[in-house]
Amino acid sequence: MLIELKDVNKTYNNGQPLHVLKGIDLSIDKGEFVSIMGASGSGKSTLLNILGILDNYDTGEYWLNGRLIKDLSERQAADYRNRMIGFIFQSFNLIGFKTAVENVELPLFYQGVSRHKRHALAMEYLERLGLKEWAGHYPNEMSEGQKQRVAIARALITHPQIILADEPTGALDSKTSVEVMELLGQLNREEEVTLIVVTHESGVANCTNKIIHIKDGVIGEIEMNSGHDASAFGTATIMK
Amino acid sequence: MRDVFIEIWESVRRNKLRTCLTGFAVAWGIFMLIALLGAGNGIMNIFDSNSEGITVNSMRVYGNSTSKPYGGFKQGRLIELDEHDLKLTASPVFEDHIDEISASLSQGGFMMTYGKRYFSVSLNGVYPDIARLYGIEMLSGRFINHNDIEDKRKVLVITHLQARNFLGGKEDYDSLLGQRVKIGNLSFKIIGVRKSAENTDDSEIYTPYTTLRGIFSKSNKIDMLSFTFHGLDTEEENEAFEKDYKRVLNTYHGAAPDDERAIWISNSFTMNMQMNQGRNVLDVFLWVIGLFTLLSGIVGVSNIMLITVKERTHEFGIRKAIGASPWSIMKLIIAESVSITAFFGYIGMVLGMIACRVLDATVGSNPIEVLGESITIMQNPSVGLGVAAEATLLLIITGTLAGLIPARKASRVKPIEALRAE
Repeated sequence: MLIELKDVNKTYNNGQPLHVLKGIDLSIDKGEFVSIMGASGSGKSTLLNILGILDNYDTGEYWLNGRLIKDLSERQAADYRNRMIGFIFQSFNLIGFKTAVENVELPLFYQGVSRHKRHALAMEYLERLGLKEWAGHYPNEMSEGQKQRVAIARALITHPQIILADEPTGALDSKTSVEVMELLGQLNREEEVTLIVVTHESGVANCTNKIIHIKDGVIGEIEMNSGHDASAFGTATIMK
Repeated sequence: MRDVFIEIWESVRRNKLRTCLTGFAVAWGIFMLIALLGAGNGIMNIFDSNSEGITVNSMRVYGNSTSKPYGGFKQGRLIELDEHDLKLTASPVFEDHIDEISASLSQGGFMMTYGKRYFSVSLNGVYPDIARLYGIEMLSGRFINHNDIEDKRKVLVITHLQARNFLGGKEDYDSLLGQRVKIGNLSFKIIGVRKSAENTDDSEIYTPYTTLRGIFSKSNKIDMLSFTFHGLDTEEENEAFEKDYKRVLNTYHGAAPDDERAIWISNSFTMNMQMNQGRNVLDVFLWVIGLFTLLSGIVGVSNIMLITVKERTHEFGIRKAIGASPWSIMKLIIAESVSITAFFGYIGMVLGMIACRVLDATVGSNPIEVLGESITIMQNPSVGLGVAAEATLLLIITGTLAGLIPARKASRVKPIEALRAE
């Protein structure tokens, strides 16, 4: 298993203790295209943060590619994030004063890759995502869909074990949403990238091959969805 | 490294005005530091030039007046040195420290005649080593030597001002060498022309001690006794030596052995030491003023960096999420802080050095009149390469310090919180 969570618990202590994750057990295999679905407050974002080594958990075990991710130093966590995890965010999180290609290069910069090499590689990824002409543009000169594709290129460039997408279509209109989800699906099929999408949109979840429902901090139903015809969803469209 | 500079440039470029205003405070601080130290050096250089050439450790001994009654004499009796004091000085008691002893004798009221020109002068009978003690600089010819002393030759060393007068304003001093001048009725030969000290009415004419003593002096009195010494390396050692020495001379002259004032000693070593102490105090004082001025600039940089960090929290969150280590974030902020400090600091430093040049051209080269005397208050006010290097180091250190707190703040940003901060 690529990802294995065993009885993971997480409590926030902001004044009143809030038990957000109540014993999560979860396994995700290499090459899977999974969505984690739940309403706001269900703990799905917390789960994603833990999976992305952005946040700690209190008890339990999280194994990523055979490594126990627990009590890491900041530096170690940064290194694991850099090498094993790619992030796609709802608000893209591109750096505004850097051009598209510079944004894509950034993870390689933190790996110490030479400027020439990382530039070449970043151009290659932008080209694959159809953004070659936009390489020198700043994020505010691009459309939302283009921005998200730059962010996807940035997530892909380090060949991570998993790509975590937090509401990747949340800021996009439905047409662009479909395009982005198709792109993710294509990456999953053609490049065997393991993708975990967190969403509260059923249509987005329906684009994935497995839907994990989370509710009140526990895993509910796990739906196999290889036919992309999950119940109660409109197929072939994404409801906004 | 280049990547770091590109990042810094991007950050600075977005906040040009803010950066410049902050930088101004730093530039001002370093400017003050350099200008103050330069001016301080200018003042110290004046002191140095007055004691220029005195490189050996020497003491000059003069007779003074007693400060207490002793042996039936009242206090306030004048003590005059004589040749017996030379013998006492050369006694085995002091031979561990004293190297070379000499004496000088001056006598005024002579008329010096050269052709049709004449002046009233006083003659100074000296030993050769006076040249070294006083830092006498010869422009032409030579100074008195030992043969002159032994043979009691009638030779003179005159000042370049007197020589110029003899030559009718010309500076062809060599032509005067070997020329005869008359002192009273006696003919003396000019053997050298020396430079007269700047800013003083230094017009001593030197002749061998033995000549003056043999021809004109009626007693065995001497004006001044001097000697070079070694092996007295601290102020305490010098004081102890002076006390012992005074006791011996006091006893001979019938003054109280512990009378501090019967004999007056001018010690070049302790004088230098005190001047160096004075210089150090002045230096420390100027550094402190300069550093405090700089401090306000540094606080400004630190403040601006804190604002920058706050503004960039979201960006740092993104960087951390995609793999930036805390250290790499810290490095970015510290490098930016050091760059701002160093860049504007250097501007301040250059301006400070220009200010020193301006000081040199104005105050430094225009003596001012004080009570009828012309006084130069500064000479070559400037700071050396050493200070420039120290200032550079200071800029790097202070830049780092200014960046440290903001950098720690930036590096402690939690990526999830930072990503939320939009």
